Amino acid sequence: MGTFFSHIWAVAQRVLRQLKHDRRLIALSLVVPIVVIYVLYIFFESLNNPFVQASDYAFTMGAYFVHFLTFVLTAIVLVRERVTETLTRMMVSGYRKLEIILGYLLAYTTLATAQSLLVLVAITWLFKVDYPYGTLAAIYLIMWLLAVISMALGILVSTFARNEGQVFPFIPLFLLPSIFVSGMIISVEALPEWAQPFSYLTPLYYSTQVIHALADGGGLLDESLALLSLPIYGLAVLVLSSLTLREGD
Amino acid sequence: MTKGLAIEAKGAEKRYGHIQALKGVDVAVRQGQIFGLIGANGAGKSTFIKLLVGAARADAGSLRVLGLDPQRDRFELREQLGYMPQSPALYDDLTAVENLRFFGEAHRLPDLKAKVEQTLDFVQLSARGDDPVSTLSGGMKQRVSLACALVHQPRLLLLDEPTAGVDLELRAALWRRFKQLAAEGVTILVSTHQMDEAVHCHRLAIISEGLILTTDTPQQLLQRGQATVHVWRGKERQEHKLSDYPIDLPKALQAYGLDKQVARIELETNSLEAIVLDMIRSNSNQEGNR
Repeated sequence: MGTFFSHIWAVAQRVLRQLKHDRRLIALSLVVPIVVIYVLYIFFESLNNPFVQASDYAFTMGAYFVHFLTFVLTAIVLVRERVTETLTRMMVSGYRKLEIILGYLLAYTTLATAQSLLVLVAITWLFKVDYPYGTLAAIYLIMWLLAVISMALGILVSTFARNEGQVFPFIPLFLLPSIFVSGMIISVEALPEWAQPFSYLTPLYYSTQVIHALADGGGLLDESLALLSLPIYGLAVLVLSSLTLREGD
Repeated sequence: MTKGLAIEAKGAEKRYGHIQALKGVDVAVRQGQIFGLIGANGAGKSTFIKLLVGAARADAGSLRVLGLDPQRDRFELREQLGYMPQSPALYDDLTAVENLRFFGEAHRLPDLKAKVEQTLDFVQLSARGDDPVSTLSGGMKQRVSLACALVHQPRLLLLDEPTAGVDLELRAALWRRFKQLAAEGVTILVSTHQMDEAVHCHRLAIISEGLILTTDTPQQLLQRGQATVHVWRGKERQEHKLSDYPIDLPKALQAYGLDKQVARIELETNSLEAIVLDMIRSNSNQEGNR
């Protein structure tokens, strides 16, 4: 058991050291969501439509940006590990799949924590949201959870890509349809019947349900099933990733 | 598993899609030996090494490495082996010390800091240990990569083309290191396509198109080549082709009785490279005819 935790810590420390050296990546990961949120703000401002409540969309959109960036970043980093053969070397050195995945999750969680917090603060400030602190904390928890799940999804997807470029087809295949089937813009009930089952495949569906309930003045447990689904979804993806992660080709 | 063998492969096969990378490889490596796996690019050297480290699964055949099954016992085995892949497989944005420390941490070494320093010293890179790997030359990266494979002092080293793209001076230095390790009892399997390196090995296996063509010592392989002896008797020159020259040479010379007129004898033997190339070509022709 001692080896298990020390290996996870060693991987996490190594990834954090790499992140520390890659300041550009940190800056981009933190600045890009803020810029996109600002563009979103300008878009809603220019709409000037009293029937469109910007805050209804802002937090779910913010959660989506975090989901998108974390997913793509993790997948690319893991594919790079395979292409450069450091993944094989790690495993031949004695690190096990689950230790590598958990080490990565631990390290990138620090980035995702900061990213989610910045997104939340930017939305609250720009869109002049006056939710109670408890609601904001609950929304933050959901965003953070979604970010962690997105990392696990990124690791899972990395198994199916042989180089960094092959990560990008997953954007139109998985990330973009998520906008339409998650209930973020169009409610799931309004979707054609054949499209509705696809909602359950994206973690965004569950996070959107909880965030909408919170935005409507409800509590964190109002959508308890969706809330519970998030860690279950994450755990399932984690198990799948540790089963499918390949050492090499 | 035969006693005294560090590696024993019998009929190892591996297929990637429609490509049969290994077609039944038999290899036996004794403990403490430097064993060379010689073959052209794409011959199956890296695939075979990947089977040995458990990074790929054989489709058929049996493999024992240090008495263990590379798949079933891979975690136990990996404690005792060092693997240097063909590409440097390092974290470019980390320093050499950070890379060594990370791969060393996998083995939970009690005095890791000292071992990292010793290993960097062994590959003569102590002065550049705190520099990011991205700032090092190709040869230096190869040495860091070797150090990562050595940091936990393994019993078996599997080196996949460790001297590819390395200048002559560094190659000589690396081979001195390999011999030093072998003298300390470490078994080394090294793959290369550079024939001049073969002479450093205790035994060689020639691999071509996924098949081991032969396994022998470099000296015995050299003897397999055809030799030509030129004998000048006065101004007359005679030429004799010898297929097994240690035996055929005395026979050829007996006819002269080594009289005083034999002023000059020249022996022209095939280089190891020519012998190996002949074997590979004749194997390719046979495969092509099938």
